[in-house]
Amino acid sequence: MKVRLESLGPITVVIPQGRLDFGAAAAFQTAIEQALAGATALIIDCAELEYVSSAGLRVFLLAGRSSQSAGRPFALCALRPAVREVFDVSGFSRVIAVHADRDGAVAQIRQRSV
Amino acid sequence: MPNLPESEGGASVPASDTPLADRSPIAWVRRLANLLFERDGPYARAFENLIFALIVLSIVSVGLEATSGLPGWVSSTLRVTEIVVVAVFSFEYVLRIVAAERKLAFIFSFYGLVDLLSIAPFYLSGIDARYLRGLRILRVLRVLKLQRHVLETTVAQRTRELAERNEALAQAQAQLTTELEVARALQIAILPSSFPMAPGCDGAARMLPATTMGGDFYDFIELPGGPIGLVVADVSGKGVPAAFFMAVARTNLRELAAHHLDPGACLARTNDVLCTQNPMDLFVTVFYCIFDPSTGVVRYANGGHNPPYVRRGDGSIEMLGGAGGLVLGVMQGVEYPDHTLQLRPGDRLVLYTDGVTEAFNQANEPYGVERLIAEVQAHGDGPADALVERICRSVAVFSGAAPQSDDITLTVLAWRAP
Repeated sequence: MKVRLESLGPITVVIPQGRLDFGAAAAFQTAIEQALAGATALIIDCAELEYVSSAGLRVFLLAGRSSQSAGRPFALCALRPAVREVFDVSGFSRVIAVHADRDGAVAQIRQRSV
Repeated sequence: MPNLPESEGGASVPASDTPLADRSPIAWVRRLANLLFERDGPYARAFENLIFALIVLSIVSVGLEATSGLPGWVSSTLRVTEIVVVAVFSFEYVLRIVAAERKLAFIFSFYGLVDLLSIAPFYLSGIDARYLRGLRILRVLRVLKLQRHVLETTVAQRTRELAERNEALAQAQAQLTTELEVARALQIAILPSSFPMAPGCDGAARMLPATTMGGDFYDFIELPGGPIGLVVADVSGKGVPAAFFMAVARTNLRELAAHHLDPGACLARTNDVLCTQNPMDLFVTVFYCIFDPSTGVVRYANGGHNPPYVRRGDGSIEMLGGAGGLVLGVMQGVEYPDHTLQLRPGDRLVLYTDGVTEAFNQANEPYGVERLIAEVQAHGDGPADALVERICRSVAVFSGAAPQSDDITLTVLAWRAP
């Protein structure tokens, strides 16, 4: 799995690519922690994420927790159907804000920080 | 380095290569050579030290000789020293040739030439005194013998340390492996090995961990009044942390099941308890159902687990609704709604973890829900354990040589009639 970062002003966008399984989870967690350190808000854009295992889900959970305790808005967007299904079945889409696209995620973060 | 000591040949040839019965002088010399160049042997170390001392002595004396106006007794002492040094070095040179596997390669190697040139002036000085001065300078090459000595000692030292460290590592590894095997046996032993005796039904289950220890589990719980609780669950992650959380989740769920006869309430309480015992931020997906063998009624709740399937007696497959409850261990105060399924005689309930559907083959394709459904549809009308066996074999055949990436757990309940 690879991770790309983009900046939208003060918002950092993390873009995971490929398969997020047990083997990739630790590296993804480190990437998110580093991204969070320099950002006022975090979006994880999952448009290029093909697969997520339960160990991968845990990283999203931890990312949500860290951004909450740091007082920084956090959102997910652009989940592919296979990944969306994992989020729905596990109930994660109930506790983490999931948006159809990046614009929706940005709008929610802007609204919350106003 | 122009040449490593190893390339010079048989310093490490064991003495046992030569039969002890062979008492010819050549065999004797070979045995001596092997003894004196044996790696780490006591004689070899003493010989090394002797050579080292003589090299230093000869370098000092070569330096002294170059100074003019030395008293007569010093000159004669130096002369004697030189004879002793050359004698021992010549002895060493011959022994090294004897010990070398490829003798010519040694003679023409860098250190082989150094050895020869550092003693050659002594032998050649008798031939023609005019060359004496030029030749004597070659004895300076003895400094290079010193270099080999240091190099060999260092290599031997490092080799010894490495061997000791490797042995310690191997011991630690062996102990860890033994302990993990015991832990794995314990983990499998706490899972029920048979389905509770109940009229008109049978059940079977299997858990195949991907690593030594797994995060999946299943359970059969005999509840007061005759119903049977069935659990299938999957802890996030793998290995020892997942196995510990699995044991905690399984124990809590089993204990709370006796007091909460609604599956949703049982999951909600289990979740609350797990949230307070979760330092690693793990979580567990749990499907929990309570089955009444006298009526075929299944009441269930789903905490983030893959929805199970029911195979009707006519071979049709239905997926159980009510998925999407939050996994357990993430957040306190979550509620899990109860759902109901009426089994008809001849129905099978198939519970599984995603290790089944996400078993990959060598082409990196997942086993998938479709293959699972096809197996259940085609072979689901026999006993529960036969279906479990059938699906496990199908997954194993599909995966082939690809390594198992996740724990595989299957539970099948077959109901005939009360």
